[in-house]
Amino acid sequence: MTVVVEAPAWRLPPRWVLLVAVLSIACAEVGGASMARFRDVDERILDEALVKFDAGLRLFHMHAEGMGLVIIAGATVAATLARPGTARRSIIALLTTGGAGYPVGYLVWSALIPSYGMDSAKTIAEWLVWIPFGSAAIVALWWLAALIALRMIRP
Amino acid sequence: MPQAANNDKPRAAMIMSGPVRRPPLAVVLVAISLLALGETAGAAMSRLKPEIQRYAATRVAANAAAHGFSGSAEYDDEVRERAIFTAEAGLSFFHLHAEGVGLVLFFTSTLVASAVPWRRARAALYLLLTLGGLFPLGYLVYGAAVLELGRDAGIDLAERWILTPLGISAIAGLVGLLLVAARRRA
Repeated sequence: MTVVVEAPAWRLPPRWVLLVAVLSIACAEVGGASMARFRDVDERILDEALVKFDAGLRLFHMHAEGMGLVIIAGATVAATLARPGTARRSIIALLTTGGAGYPVGYLVWSALIPSYGMDSAKTIAEWLVWIPFGSAAIVALWWLAALIALRMIRP
Repeated sequence: MPQAANNDKPRAAMIMSGPVRRPPLAVVLVAISLLALGETAGAAMSRLKPEIQRYAATRVAANAAAHGFSGSAEYDDEVRERAIFTAEAGLSFFHLHAEGVGLVLFFTSTLVASAVPWRRARAALYLLLTLGGLFPLGYLVYGAAVLELGRDAGIDLAERWILTPLGISAIAGLVGLLLVAARRRA
């Protein structure tokens, strides 16, 4: 008799998580398109602040695209491998808010450059967005990695 | 069929082409660890930049012979700056590649789990893709080796012994998945 053992399937994360992830990717696409338009202006006005503004938009574009995918992948793993309850909910919430919020810091940085100057704008964005949201995403991913390792040791 | 994690009640039937299977836990662990390492490296690059530069300068000074210091301050400063820049570039490449390759490993191994029916082929593809997933670690070695062995010797070591073999493994895994998918379609 042949016994066919099928690999377990992935479970979808909650819909709001997918919505946030797709929204993040969509905003990144829009950011990328704006960047291309902005470059025409950049060629004419060679101002350092504008160059930094462009850099902020570019970094937002890159990070929002990547983090959108990281949210989908991480939340899918958490939804499948974490047992229902606080751990699963916390990992998904931390990863989604952290992952979607972090790239916004680059927009905040860009927007604040004209009023506060480069360094002050960076410090504000760092403490207001990058550190809290980035830390949330990092904690969620390491928590998830620890959880998978635990599942391997104690299935 | 995948179900929403927050809703275990029976749901209306959905039309799907098939279940999306998950790869073995070891593969998932490598993918998620890569993402976590990539994020952490990004944070370190931003928050610990002065400390990293100081550490790099100390290691370059400790390995002066490997860096070919001549005793001329101007020349030595240029060599030191180039080595520190290359080591920082290694960390930056690691951040970028770990995030990207972690996702590539996650999605391709899910494709292998779902679309490759042969057990041995699946195992071989998991192995190749997971080894390929370790590719970004080569950039950490790249950064460290540049400081310890000198710029050219460090880059050569990382490229020859880590980046090239692991990169080839990733490419072989992807080509293998492509061939299996093509064969299934035929």
